[in-house]
Amino acid sequence: MLSIQNLTHTYPNGVQALKNVSLEIPKGMFGLLGPNGAGKSSLMRTIATLQQPTSGAVQFGDINVLTEPGTVRRRLGYLPQDFGVYPRGSAYDLLDHLAMLKGITSAKERKRVVEGLLVQTNLFDVRKKNVATFSGGMRQRFGIAQALIGQPQLIIVDEPTAGLDPEERNRFHNLLSEIGEDVVVILSTHIVDDVSDLCPNMAVLAAGEIVSKGTPAALVAELEGRIWKKTINKTKLDAFKAKHKVISNHLSAGQMMVRVESVSLPGEGFELAKANLEDVYFVAISESRQSGSSSSEIGDITVAAA
Amino acid sequence: MMMFQIATHEFRYMMGSIATRVAFAALFGFAVLYTADGVEFQLTAGGGNIFINAPTSITLFMLLMSVAATFFVPSFMANAVLKDVDSKFDAILFSTPITKNDYLIGRFLGAFAALMLVMAAAPIGMLLGTFWPWAVPETLGPTIISHYLVAYFGFLLPTMLLVSALVFAVAVLSRSMMYCYVAVLGLFIFYIAGLGSSTISPLFDPFMISTFNDQVSYWTAAELNENLISYTGTILANRVIWLGFAISLFVAAYLRFSPQTPAKLPKARKADQKMVDAKNKAQANVGYRGTPTWAVGTHFRQFLYCTKFEVLAVLKSQPFILLMGFSLFLLVTTLSNRAVLYEVNALPVTRILMENMVEALVWALMAVTIFYGADVVWRDRENKFNAFLDAAPAPNWVFVISKLAALIAVVYSILILGVIVAVAIQLLNGYHTFEFGLYLEQGLLFSTSFIFLAILSCFFQVLVKSRFLGIMLMGLFWVITLASVTLLEHPLLRYALGMISAPLSDMNGAGRFAEAGYWIRAYNASVAGLLVMLTYVLWNRGTLQPLKYRLKQLKAFKTAKFLVPLTALVVLFIGSGSFIYYNTNVLNKFRTRADIQELQVAYEEQFRQYENLPMPRTVDVKMEVDIYPYGGRVETRGIHILENRTDTDIATVHLVFPPRLAAAPLVKLEGASLASVNARYRYYIFELETPMVPGEQRTLEFETLIHNKGFPHRGADVTLIRNGTFFDNRRIAPHIGFNPAFMIAVRDQRRDAGLEPLPRMPKLEDSSQYKTNGLRGDSDFVGFEATVSTVPEQIAVTPGYLQKEWIEGNRRYFTYKMDVPIMNLYSFLSAEYEVVRDQWNGVDIEIFHHMPHTYNLGRMVESAKDSLAYFSQAFGPYQFRQVRILEFAAYRNFAKSFPNTISYSEDLGFLADVTDSSVIDLPYYVTAHEIAHQWWAHQVTPANTQGAAMLSESLSQYSALLVMEQKYGKDQIRKFLKFELDSYLSGRNQEADAELPLLRVEDQQYIYYRKGAVIMYALKDYLGETVVNRALQRLVEGHAFKSSPYPTSNDLLFYLKEEAGPEHHGLIEDFLEKITLYDVKITESTVEEMADGRFKISLSLDARKFYSDGIGNQTDAAFDIPVDIGLFLKSPDAAGYGSADVIMLEKRRIVDGKSTIEIIVDKKPLIAGIDPYNKLIDRDSDDNLRAVDEIEAGTRDASALARSEQAKS
Repeated sequence: MLSIQNLTHTYPNGVQALKNVSLEIPKGMFGLLGPNGAGKSSLMRTIATLQQPTSGAVQFGDINVLTEPGTVRRRLGYLPQDFGVYPRGSAYDLLDHLAMLKGITSAKERKRVVEGLLVQTNLFDVRKKNVATFSGGMRQRFGIAQALIGQPQLIIVDEPTAGLDPEERNRFHNLLSEIGEDVVVILSTHIVDDVSDLCPNMAVLAAGEIVSKGTPAALVAELEGRIWKKTINKTKLDAFKAKHKVISNHLSAGQMMVRVESVSLPGEGFELAKANLEDVYFVAISESRQSGSSSSEIGDITVAAA
Repeated sequence: MMMFQIATHEFRYMMGSIATRVAFAALFGFAVLYTADGVEFQLTAGGGNIFINAPTSITLFMLLMSVAATFFVPSFMANAVLKDVDSKFDAILFSTPITKNDYLIGRFLGAFAALMLVMAAAPIGMLLGTFWPWAVPETLGPTIISHYLVAYFGFLLPTMLLVSALVFAVAVLSRSMMYCYVAVLGLFIFYIAGLGSSTISPLFDPFMISTFNDQVSYWTAAELNENLISYTGTILANRVIWLGFAISLFVAAYLRFSPQTPAKLPKARKADQKMVDAKNKAQANVGYRGTPTWAVGTHFRQFLYCTKFEVLAVLKSQPFILLMGFSLFLLVTTLSNRAVLYEVNALPVTRILMENMVEALVWALMAVTIFYGADVVWRDRENKFNAFLDAAPAPNWVFVISKLAALIAVVYSILILGVIVAVAIQLLNGYHTFEFGLYLEQGLLFSTSFIFLAILSCFFQVLVKSRFLGIMLMGLFWVITLASVTLLEHPLLRYALGMISAPLSDMNGAGRFAEAGYWIRAYNASVAGLLVMLTYVLWNRGTLQPLKYRLKQLKAFKTAKFLVPLTALVVLFIGSGSFIYYNTNVLNKFRTRADIQELQVAYEEQFRQYENLPMPRTVDVKMEVDIYPYGGRVETRGIHILENRTDTDIATVHLVFPPRLAAAPLVKLEGASLASVNARYRYYIFELETPMVPGEQRTLEFETLIHNKGFPHRGADVTLIRNGTFFDNRRIAPHIGFNPAFMIAVRDQRRDAGLEPLPRMPKLEDSSQYKTNGLRGDSDFVGFEATVSTVPEQIAVTPGYLQKEWIEGNRRYFTYKMDVPIMNLYSFLSAEYEVVRDQWNGVDIEIFHHMPHTYNLGRMVESAKDSLAYFSQAFGPYQFRQVRILEFAAYRNFAKSFPNTISYSEDLGFLADVTDSSVIDLPYYVTAHEIAHQWWAHQVTPANTQGAAMLSESLSQYSALLVMEQKYGKDQIRKFLKFELDSYLSGRNQEADAELPLLRVEDQQYIYYRKGAVIMYALKDYLGETVVNRALQRLVEGHAFKSSPYPTSNDLLFYLKEEAGPEHHGLIEDFLEKITLYDVKITESTVEEMADGRFKISLSLDARKFYSDGIGNQTDAAFDIPVDIGLFLKSPDAAGYGSADVIMLEKRRIVDGKSTIEIIVDKKPLIAGIDPYNKLIDRDSDDNLRAVDEIEAGTRDASALARSEQAKS
């Protein structure tokens, strides 16, 4: 449905945000997982017609996204990563405004749409309040409400759950899951649970490149039998890392829990772990870090102009 | 220490920004140009004798730069606090242990230091400019570095400090850039309101420019060149008030500032039943997402919706409400002030209010288009709302045009406010002729320029990547367009600002001038349309992309959607442009100011050699003039008799015809053949077959044609119009011999053209000029007869008595004839006149006026009667049997006396508002002045030497004052004298060459009108009315209608001295032959009740006299004349003051310097005055009156004792 071919984007300051990205995104929820600064927002903005890539092509059905932005926008719902609102303007008024811009020209129909979305996003009670005074979660719900106006066929939600508390995130997941299955929804996130909860398809973007793609189940299955875990003393982590391919570690009760990828038992004291999506993610990005010459730095640079 | 670090960090941050460098470069460049090319930029120096680098010029330039710089203060001072909020860095910043003090003061100091470093470009640029190779040495004085330092630190810095403190405080309080710009706009509006109004005291000018001008207005060129203005009096008070205000606001902001962001959580509210119902109803719509309809009208409906949204967003915003408040203030102050002359207001007719409104709002609207242009373009992006909008399926034009609509709504809101204020002023003045059509028409016409500017402003904002750069571009556009008047003169090259002026008049409306305005607007609209299209094609959607990427989007112009409007606009552009070009360059000659100057130079080079050739004089004039008011056409046939009045034979006769004739004139001179014709200068040289011997007469016949076609780019002919035509013979008849009036006269322009300065007038002693009059050198007194025709509904008038009147075809003819000789100066007027008739002693008084203008006719008639009565008794008989006053269109604003015929502009007398009895009765006064010219100019015609204008203008001023005094009493003359005195004193430093004594006055209005009135009145006061009038009577007796020789001011001097007697010769010399200034004041005044119930008044006086040279260097002299001492119940400058308030007013002889006098009177005075009516040329006329302090009998002795003690020690 959405086809991205050889997309490359280099910012004027020389930062290469996307490197030859190709993806086929079918209908349904698609998770784009990647660490901060991987280029997710650049990719999202490019698909959302807000940024012209240096080279490459994006095709949505039979529409060329890059040359016919106007046509795509008629089918687009976009929740940007970092958005604001006017200092004054109630949720109702702003949604009404955006509904008009999305082509709902009949006032009566707009009322139905806006009210329905306000109820659905649980914002109805505060519909006359300035959006500028909303909390982060309410603001994201406002964001998804506007993205849903006009039955878009392509919905892009860029890091919608970042900074939300678990309850709000849950609520947000529910909202996303209510979106029909015959539209393309791209959910960009750095939170693995978002993808595992919601997405039948996914890809991992790291340092501007797609390092892994497929269905979460298949990707997890690929790793099955290759993930080992061990508890070590945290002072020995560096030495341990030099010997093994450590994909993740975390502290638990003062001890360091380490997960290692290996086709065979890596050594004494290891225990076979059940692979999960997080392992997929970490394996993918650690591979990207090893292959790219200085790509680990790129991960720390937030793309300046985004 | 922390504060210092913050300050240095802020300073470095500011210095690193492009904005700072751009501002520095712009300011520096402007300052260099300003001093280096002193002729084109004379903002402060005004030419003449004041040096561009005089301390006062430097100071004034700094003050003016502070106004300009105010507009970039927000990007320094507001940025210093707002950038943390905008970038959301504040959370990190305020979690560090910096204190509020360190933060606010540090940021302020850092940003202010950066700002002042930028501002240093002004003095540095000014200084370096004086060393530029093309700087004009004679415009520069010696370089004194300290003057620059004082101007920078003493004047620029305090102003910048107060503006900075204000903006910083507003930024801290409001956390909004827009509020900062509105604050700046408020200061600016307050400043321009003060410029145009006498109601706001200079004390309150935030930029101190009015204050400064007020302080130095009486300074002479010499003083302006040498002295720095001191920080005392109103200057000091002004600074204290404004800095006090700014600092209080700063302190308030400081106290309110809290580093914590206020919580922004919505209040939890219980759902009431209504809400629950609504929600339940809405429940049904869950899941409904709507179906977009993409029909033909969809985008248009989106556009309407967005327009409403954007317009409301602006109109509901608080900055806008503030802006309306400022505008209201500006409008009220400027519309209340409609002075025509002598501080008398015009009646609030719509036309005048509209013109005032336009004048008042130009700068305010300019600032509005710049700031709001920036705001509407950047608002979405700054609020980060743009991602929603940019991804929405609405085309760019929906956004761009709706934003423009918001901007235009602001412009119209201010204009509508203007109309409301204007109508309110009309109502309050009891004026009930509301011309809403005119408001609408003029408002629409005026607003177009600002719509064009708004579009340009948005266009610039879209080109650049920051608000500030866009504002700078717009500022640059203004400066370049305004500064390039001489380079880009053609209106086709001046977007939005190249309007062809269409003046207004009640008699003739905008006349045919309006047409040019419509075309030029159509032309500009086509450019504006293209700019709008460019703006929305280049509109930034999504990520801010560099312009060079966005330029690719221009290929959209190749699509059909764009091609249609594009083609329409190009057709309009080419069509209107060609039509304008056809009018300005084909139908009319396109001549820039520089072209005209070149022509004048060439004329001088080619023909000035003939300046002193002996020429015959015109002695008799017969004219046939056909006026076609609707066709802009005048056909003239003239028969003049020329006579050789020299004592040599004349072999060649030169004629110069006036410019702007439609065809080469036909000329025939009796017994002569045409030797050469220069078509460009219409210069004809005739070779006489037999020379004219002295006394011989020849007939000159000529035909000229004026035909105004289309419209010129500038200087449209306002003399020849549909209703209210007025021109004189200089427009249609030739000048005999070289006409010096076509040479460049202005000294600076001559210097530019490499020409020696012209003597403004021949010296008083130059007896070669005694047989030439100062009004028209090629003629003496002439006999006059003319037939003039016009359309049947109009009356045509020229000097002389109406002999007959008839209609032939569809033309109406009038024949006029004079039975006494007149000067060769005569007017032609034609309009749809109403006539008011009256009589005085057999003399017909007729006033030809525009029908509705009846307000002041009674005063004019009365003045004519009083004047005729007084002047014929005091000076000699009136030479005519008739006085006619004729109104002409307000395109020009003056009154001019022709023989028995006075032309009088609409506003000057007909619309003067003199219902308030405390103002000068302007129609009465001007009428008297013009009637006096029938004696002073038309009977006693001065020779062409210095002092000529004293005989015509100063004497007419004097005569009018006599009539005024007779009607209103001696005690009402003060306001007139004070005005004249102040005008003279402030006129002195505008002198381009050198000031001269009244007796030798040249083309110096501030002397012959202003000083002349005061001096002549004072002469009358000191010598007695009969003495002065007897001298004038002798002048008339001896010189009326005498052309050989014509009288000079020396003749008047002779009669005055003879009549006054030797004891007054010193005074007459001081008044007329020298530039004499007095300074009298009361330093202390006390009153004490005496035992007998009378009052003893003790006055400490200071009286001084100075002589001044031509540029104002003074030498002391001894004060040697008696002077008026007055005691009053009420101040003579108070409203309603009259003779009943005078306790005593008499001349007392007082000694030079300080002295004390005692007076005993019956009533207790409240005010004492020395020269209270300002009869003397007093350098400071504001200290002549003083309230009288009351003292108890006992304390007086004590204080007297204390004084004498002091004297001993």
